[in-house]
Amino acid sequence: MIWQLDLIICLFVIICAIAAINVKDLLAAVIILGAYSFFMCLLWTNMGAVDVAFTEASVGAGVGTVLFIAAVNRTKRRSKD
Amino acid sequence: MKAIALIAVLMTGGLLIYSIEGLPDWGDPDSPASTHVSPEYIQDALEKTATPNIVTAVLADYRGYDTMGETAVIFTAGIGCVLILRKKRKGKGD
Amino acid sequence: MLEYVVSKFNFWTYVILVGIGLYAMIGKKNLVKKLIGMNIMQSAVILFYVSIGAKKGGATVPIFMGDAHAAHGHGIHEIIDVASYVNPLPHVLMLTAIVVSIATTGVALAALILIFRRYKTLNEDEILKIRREAGV
Repeated sequence: MIWQLDLIICLFVIICAIAAINVKDLLAAVIILGAYSFFMCLLWTNMGAVDVAFTEASVGAGVGTVLFIAAVNRTKRRSKD
Repeated sequence: MKAIALIAVLMTGGLLIYSIEGLPDWGDPDSPASTHVSPEYIQDALEKTATPNIVTAVLADYRGYDTMGETAVIFTAGIGCVLILRKKRKGKGD
Repeated sequence: MLEYVVSKFNFWTYVILVGIGLYAMIGKKNLVKKLIGMNIMQSAVILFYVSIGAKKGGATVPIFMGDAHAAHGHGIHEIIDVASYVNPLPHVLMLTAIVVSIATTGVALAALILIFRRYKTLNEDEILKIRREAGV
């Protein structure tokens, strides 16, 4: 494992998390959550957990984002906070 | 509400930071989690299950019933989604 | 100093992510934002477990190389070096946790669509106001 890569990806993960809860547009928040999942996936690949990483990439980032987009599509897209 | 949230986050974060000091270093090969049971899994998995991937061997062989219960959980979640989201038929009772 | 920061950095990330998720779950009014916070918190716990299982010093992915079936069939008992593979047990547990988390997210989104159909809003305060005016 490469600790420099680990540090940089940890920073990206934190930035994505803060952005996801602060964006007013819910569709943008959901897409940023997908990016967060993929960065998490890179972090786990870096630590040697390949099974967890590809499960997260397919289930967490793929199916989760699709479910969220379907829900946002059927409800309102704007958020007040 | 924001003040309550900040107070809750600060208290939880303080407890977690206090607990970090007792954890072993990141990537320490001699940490308790890596020396207690996992060496036996790593040494015996290939001989007992003939599966090169240890994670799959533990998931499907050693903990097969756990995975079966997980499948039941997903099935229940799917049934729940269908029951929540189905449209009610008109003129049928309530 | 650098040594200290690197040795605990993943755990600090975990604490910060749990804080962000908890803040979103308590402080935000929109229900979708609350769900996003719940997802972030679940990922943070999974990050914590995988970080516990990591090993420094040349440890690789827990998959055996070479001819596995030959070694099994002929009873050749190789000495397997434990330090060259990362700890597989947290990975197994977190595989289950990821799938269960997506199941809970699905049911929560279904309930959220139901709430929107009834109240025509996703804001927590407005829902409570409508319920109070209806006298529930």
